[in-house]
Amino acid sequence: MSENNSFQKFRGASKYVLDEELAKIVNVSMALEMPLLLKGEPGTGKTMLAHAIAENLAMPLISLNVKSSMKLVDALYQYDTLTRLNDSRFGDSTRDVSNIEDYIRMGKIGQAFVSDVRTVLLIDEIDKADTDFQDDMLDILDQMEFDIMEIDKTVKAKNRPVIIITSNAKKDLSDPFLGRCNFHHIAFPDTDMMKRIIAVHFPKLDQEVADACIEAFYRFRRVDGIEKKPATRELINWIRALKADPDFDISSLSRGDVPYLGVFFKKSTDLAMASKMIARSQN
Amino acid sequence: MFINFFYSLRDHGIPVSPTSFLRFHKALNTGQVLSLKDLYTVARSTLVKSERYFDSYDQIFAHYFEGAEMPPITDLELDEIARALLEEWLKNPAQMADALGIDESKLRKYTPEELIQYFLDRLKEQTKEHHGGDRWIGTGGTSPVGHSGVHPGGMRVGGSGGGMSAIKVALERRYRDYSQQGPLTQSQIGEALKKLRRLVPSGPRDVVNIDKTIYETMRNAGEIEIVFDKRLKDRLKIILMIDNGGWSMDPYVHIVQVLFDYARDQFKELKTYFFHNTIYEQVWEDHTRYKKPQKIITFPNKDPESRIVIVGDASMAPYELMYESGSIYFEEKKSKASIDNLKFLAKTFRHVVWLNPRPLNQWSHTWTTEAIQEVFPMFELTLDGLDKAVNYLMLRN
Repeated sequence: MSENNSFQKFRGASKYVLDEELAKIVNVSMALEMPLLLKGEPGTGKTMLAHAIAENLAMPLISLNVKSSMKLVDALYQYDTLTRLNDSRFGDSTRDVSNIEDYIRMGKIGQAFVSDVRTVLLIDEIDKADTDFQDDMLDILDQMEFDIMEIDKTVKAKNRPVIIITSNAKKDLSDPFLGRCNFHHIAFPDTDMMKRIIAVHFPKLDQEVADACIEAFYRFRRVDGIEKKPATRELINWIRALKADPDFDISSLSRGDVPYLGVFFKKSTDLAMASKMIARSQN
Repeated sequence: MFINFFYSLRDHGIPVSPTSFLRFHKALNTGQVLSLKDLYTVARSTLVKSERYFDSYDQIFAHYFEGAEMPPITDLELDEIARALLEEWLKNPAQMADALGIDESKLRKYTPEELIQYFLDRLKEQTKEHHGGDRWIGTGGTSPVGHSGVHPGGMRVGGSGGGMSAIKVALERRYRDYSQQGPLTQSQIGEALKKLRRLVPSGPRDVVNIDKTIYETMRNAGEIEIVFDKRLKDRLKIILMIDNGGWSMDPYVHIVQVLFDYARDQFKELKTYFFHNTIYEQVWEDHTRYKKPQKIITFPNKDPESRIVIVGDASMAPYELMYESGSIYFEEKKSKASIDNLKFLAKTFRHVVWLNPRPLNQWSHTWTTEAIQEVFPMFELTLDGLDKAVNYLMLRN
């Protein structure tokens, strides 16, 4: 891309605590003009990263939430046949019915391509789609162009978007797909990192309270046999809940009295297990 | 540059493609790689495409750039290396002596046996003290990049609190949990089951069928007639039958149940039944096989499109399977031979698989396993086998 892009480096955003390793990977991916594939436990901030990059580089963010039923063409463009049919019947719009192009609407990838400024394109949860979708999409992102079949026109990217792809799958994506991406796995943050994350989200939170909450949080993550471990998102929501509760007293936490367990554990078996553990520790 | 590193990765089973290696070099040229830590990060993100290999990568990286011990080096391997060194030595003593920093004339006096001993000693020294500096053993050109220049300056990482050196990071082996050798987890298997679905229309009619709409509109002489369809939803019914009798099955009962439970929300219906060794007149809904029996005879009432997954080790005495009244339970004595019940299931349902937790190479040791294989397709209860079983279950016919 143009010269000044090389100076656009990603350094982190206001609500996102970036570890240096990830920042480096983002920068290299941008320099190499390659999509960055992010994997990691839910709640480790894969999606947040794209938001943070967009904020930091002051680029618009376009996010494509992949669904299992999605076809690739939906992500590129839509030919709005129904509106055209409607217009041809009633003819009360400014659109030209004989001009199909008037009825082509860009999908998310298409929008990122035709945008006048460089954008951040987030392709969220790619693992939901089937392998064909994934490979074909990478072809398009590789070539930075696609054809609109109905009007035989090629859409070329004006600016190569910064592409972030996330996947929750434990299973690997296909080899050709992986070959075209840079890869990073976001590990779950350790205690120090978590303290910084909490500090960013709750700047006014008392240090003592924060530490107690984080400690309780990691204790819950260590409970054996939990199916869905609480993640960063749950911790933030939990602290938010505690803050909203005027009756909450920090000393109760150390006594092992934990309110709002439901924020942490979304599955009833997990919740039961956690309550049991708390009851045990109190005795 | 880094060619040996590349092959080292490949040798340790990390699938690194030449393209990604070229891309790694492109990344080096972007001016982003300023320290060893950067090198670690960038090389990993461009070369290694799955967290399962992160652990191996860490080890190889630490080994390659810092000469860390490459675990595990066995004595046998040491012998091999020493022997290889001896060969090199015999070919060109001067060069080796130079490379090892030892006096050629001194070693010349040694017999080959003594030489091998000498090399072995040096090698063992090497594996014990990997920071010794003179990594002279053929570890694939470690020193040129590893230690010089880059290392001290760029090590610390600004801002992230207690920055660690790349080597330290690599040596930490943070990704051990994700390593391939780790145990099979529920979510890994849940992934394989994801394929198990059948989309059929259901729910409210809220999706426009464009082709039909146009057709109907034309039939209507241009008066618009919009046709709606139901959305595609997954409506697959699964019947799971688990052999929970006997210690041989104990370790698997829970995991199988959990794994199908895990995927429960993607099925319309998931029914679990239990049996012991093989199926006679009935199976049970409760795992004690006592309270809620369900007669096999009633199974044709169920949706014939149901997928049946039977999990069991298929090992038993042949008479249990083949003889009428072969059941080891007294109250079931008056029954058809079990094999006939199995055949009955196979005839009633088009999609039945048998998952066997015992490894494939043991199947032929048990006569009954082979007999059951003739009735149902049998797959191993592994990630691979599960994948194949799911593929089989999803076949159209």
